[in-house]
Amino acid sequence: MFSVKMQTHKIKMQTHNAPLAALSFLLLMVLLVFADLASAAPAQQNKNYPQGVSAINPGADLWREVRQRDLAAQGVTQVKGVDSGVLINVWGDRWAQFRTDKPIKYAPFVLLGVILVLVLFYALRGKVLIEGGLSGRMVKRFTDYERIVHWVLALVFLFLAITGLILLLGRTLLIPLFGQQLFSLLASASKEGHNLFGPIFLVSLIMMVISFARRNIYEKGDLTWLLKGGGFIGKGHVSGGFFNMGEKSWYWMVILVGLLISISGMILVMPNFGQGRIIMEISHVVHVFAAIVLIAVSLGHMYMGSIGTEGSLEAMKSGYVDISWVEAHHDRWARKVKDSGEILSAEEFARQQGRKPGSTDTATE
Amino acid sequence: MSERLEKGLQVLRAEMDKKVMSFFSSCVRCGICAESCLFYTETSDPRYTPIYKTEPMRKLWKNEYSFWGKLKGKLGISEPMTEADLADWEELVYDGCSMCGRCSMVCPVGVDISMVIFKVKHALAVAGFSPEGLVGATERAVEIGSPMGITLKTVQAMIKHVEADTGLKVPVDVEGAEYMALLSSNEIALYPEYLESLVKIFDHAGVSWTLSSDAFEATNAGLQLGNKAIAGKLVQRVVDGAEKLKVKNVISPECGHAYIALRWEGPNFIGKAYPFRVVHILELLDELQANGSLKTTGMETERLTFHDPCSIVRRGGIQAQPRNLLRPIAQNFIEMTDHGSMNWCCGGGGGVSSNERAEELKLTAFNRKKSQIEEIEVDAVVTACSNCRMVMEDGIEANEMDMPLLGLTELIAEHLEQKPH
Amino acid sequence: MIEYLIDGPLWYFSLAVFCIGVVWQLARILFTAGKTDLSVARGSASSGAWRNIFSRFVPHHEIAPQVRVQVVAGYMFHLGLFAVIFFAAPHVIFLEENLLGFGWTPMPHWAFIVASQFAFFGLLILWLRRMLNSVSRLISTLDDHIAAILTFVVMLTGCLALLKGFTELRLLHRFTVELLLIYFPFSCLMHTFTFIPSRAFTGAWFGRRGIDA
Repeated sequence: MFSVKMQTHKIKMQTHNAPLAALSFLLLMVLLVFADLASAAPAQQNKNYPQGVSAINPGADLWREVRQRDLAAQGVTQVKGVDSGVLINVWGDRWAQFRTDKPIKYAPFVLLGVILVLVLFYALRGKVLIEGGLSGRMVKRFTDYERIVHWVLALVFLFLAITGLILLLGRTLLIPLFGQQLFSLLASASKEGHNLFGPIFLVSLIMMVISFARRNIYEKGDLTWLLKGGGFIGKGHVSGGFFNMGEKSWYWMVILVGLLISISGMILVMPNFGQGRIIMEISHVVHVFAAIVLIAVSLGHMYMGSIGTEGSLEAMKSGYVDISWVEAHHDRWARKVKDSGEILSAEEFARQQGRKPGSTDTATE
Repeated sequence: MSERLEKGLQVLRAEMDKKVMSFFSSCVRCGICAESCLFYTETSDPRYTPIYKTEPMRKLWKNEYSFWGKLKGKLGISEPMTEADLADWEELVYDGCSMCGRCSMVCPVGVDISMVIFKVKHALAVAGFSPEGLVGATERAVEIGSPMGITLKTVQAMIKHVEADTGLKVPVDVEGAEYMALLSSNEIALYPEYLESLVKIFDHAGVSWTLSSDAFEATNAGLQLGNKAIAGKLVQRVVDGAEKLKVKNVISPECGHAYIALRWEGPNFIGKAYPFRVVHILELLDELQANGSLKTTGMETERLTFHDPCSIVRRGGIQAQPRNLLRPIAQNFIEMTDHGSMNWCCGGGGGVSSNERAEELKLTAFNRKKSQIEEIEVDAVVTACSNCRMVMEDGIEANEMDMPLLGLTELIAEHLEQKPH
Repeated sequence: MIEYLIDGPLWYFSLAVFCIGVVWQLARILFTAGKTDLSVARGSASSGAWRNIFSRFVPHHEIAPQVRVQVVAGYMFHLGLFAVIFFAAPHVIFLEENLLGFGWTPMPHWAFIVASQFAFFGLLILWLRRMLNSVSRLISTLDDHIAAILTFVVMLTGCLALLKGFTELRLLHRFTVELLLIYFPFSCLMHTFTFIPSRAFTGAWFGRRGIDA
């Protein structure tokens, strides 16, 4: 992403200042020679030469400043641009190293670990079934619009996750598999796709905030749900509202971590607003960590929403859920539904879905 | 292939024209038509989606006119139509569609869905997949002269009552009269006040008019059934009666589908233009008011609204006239939120009210009209179609509402200025 | 070899199928004999036709709230795609060099990206709605799904090839475009052209009857 930008930046500098650069280079070469000669004499006391003269090497100071080992010092150039006065970015190498040492190294383990945990969980605990089974009587939970918002966000997120992981892990994991040429094609494609769909994710996220925030606000009883691990700890049912605390926690994680990813992503994808390299590096680190966290937890969400819990996926397919499912997982909402809401019989539900009772066929051809 | 299926398919092929081809090419299954159809909105049953009702014709188009259909045919892997393709659509087309045409107003690609549904109805009618009630009504219309079995004797009895009540003569079979008035069976059976109003108004306005003993029936069960041949036969009766009496104009009464049958589709059913003008009673009254012949006095003070009969307003083009006539005599005229050409159907048009099997569905569909009326909190509803009136009265009763239904022509007759004779 | 095929014969073939196919389908509709309406017209058919061609771009306010998703997403998709096809720099150059011999000022790069984002977002919403809404699920055909997915793939391959650094990605995009061109005349995508006669026929019918449409 921004490495390309840096490249062009450097090229710009060169073309603008060719004579000056040549002159400086010449000067540096001259100084180097002297510096080299000068540094042959060590600055500190030499044991072999007790009467050694300690002389300050004028080149050492210059090179220390040039190397900018401790801080990115700003110089003055003819090119007036962001960071154009910074000759060497000390954090650049550190950041690149950090990226290889931490996210690239650990992300695969984190993600594989989550998958493993889910597989084990399914193997040991199995699908969370509804006591007494599904009744067939259905209640409306999500409107068309709410389901559309969810699935747009989900699909865009999946695309961004895959392209993002290719960009992060591709060099270590995919080059050995595909070879350099094919990988570079894949990486270029992923980068373009990732950059274009990023803002779409942000818009979808905002739509999700507007649609679902109200029902995800903390209510009395939610803490109890959390302490009981949603019913996995201890015996008996846990009380839940329209959304239980598990869903609320996931929701706010999506929103907050998602916003982190989006904002850092927007900083990265639109470098025309004065962001220097350091801001870009920080944004990248935030982006990567937040993304790995969100991908990892989303695996759990995808599991729980599909094979993990009986009756859940229907909520996001037709928008309707079985009344038994409501009673099992959202008893406080169940009470409201029974008082005022409409509960459809299995036949009525099938009719409204446009299919004959008992059949799943809905398409015209 | 069964004979019934073959007959139905032959009709569909004959009904295929450039319009239908452009319609099926353009429909992208957006589903917007469903939101305009009261049978869908009040039941949430997606099978009542208007464009879905045209499936039999779309399947034929796909098989015999589209690239893939024709290719599949040549390769021997086509999916030929079966009787079920027609039979399963009988309920959707006859019970779940009142031919109100609201769908045709909203389609973004301009499909006249109602027109295509009528073509499907034609095919179903010829293939014999039609509700008993309508088939019976059509038989009675052809054999007796009225779908409700009303004979000339009944009409003559009604005329006697009207003459007694008004003290005015009802002209019958007057040759050379300017206007020949028609009546609908509903009006004869349920709302004889309509004829009484005509008598008073025409006397007041000095209109030269007559009834015809050969051709007093305006309704067209053939149209409701969807059988164009029978519809043409019934139209021809009116044409013959008008030609016999050498009238210049024929008045279509307060009946929705009758107006469509006579004014707009009739000449095409019988294959030739009329030697007379067809005018809807509201058009005529508006003309009379405009030229000063019709003068009203006094005003209704209660809150009134007007229910726009679909076939007269949305499909017929008579929208301004009822308002021109109602406003001078209604102090508190309030439009329904969705009115005029975007009004909601009463639920009983297109033959639905003659179809006993559709009774429950019709009452469910009425919920839309009920909420329209309740929203504006009026004291009475005025309309200009005897079928709408009857259907709404049924719905009002079933919902235990207290809401009088008034006929517009009657209302005008009640407010006629007394002219010195 | 593949590059030669995609940039050469397949391009010409797909273009020919598209042009001939579209003209053929339109001609079939327009030159089928029509029936004369023997009833007396109340109003003008031609003014009704013109009026309807344009009025149907805006939904009736009576149903607007119920159809907001289709209309907003629909316009996002269609306008975004139109802008991308005809005003994105790579396409303007392509059209100038390969088809028309002349070009025009393209939109700036950022506008190209934003337009394509609208197009993607709109199409995603529309296709998901088609699957999630019970009405559109019932009435949708295989044709509708193929058209949506194929269009999305064309757009996506275009996006993936944005850097212009890899011939393979450009060829993939061009290949999917050629598939779309071949599919176009035999699919619901013909609505691109047939919506005009369709709206005109109905508008003429309304105009004749003097209906306030």
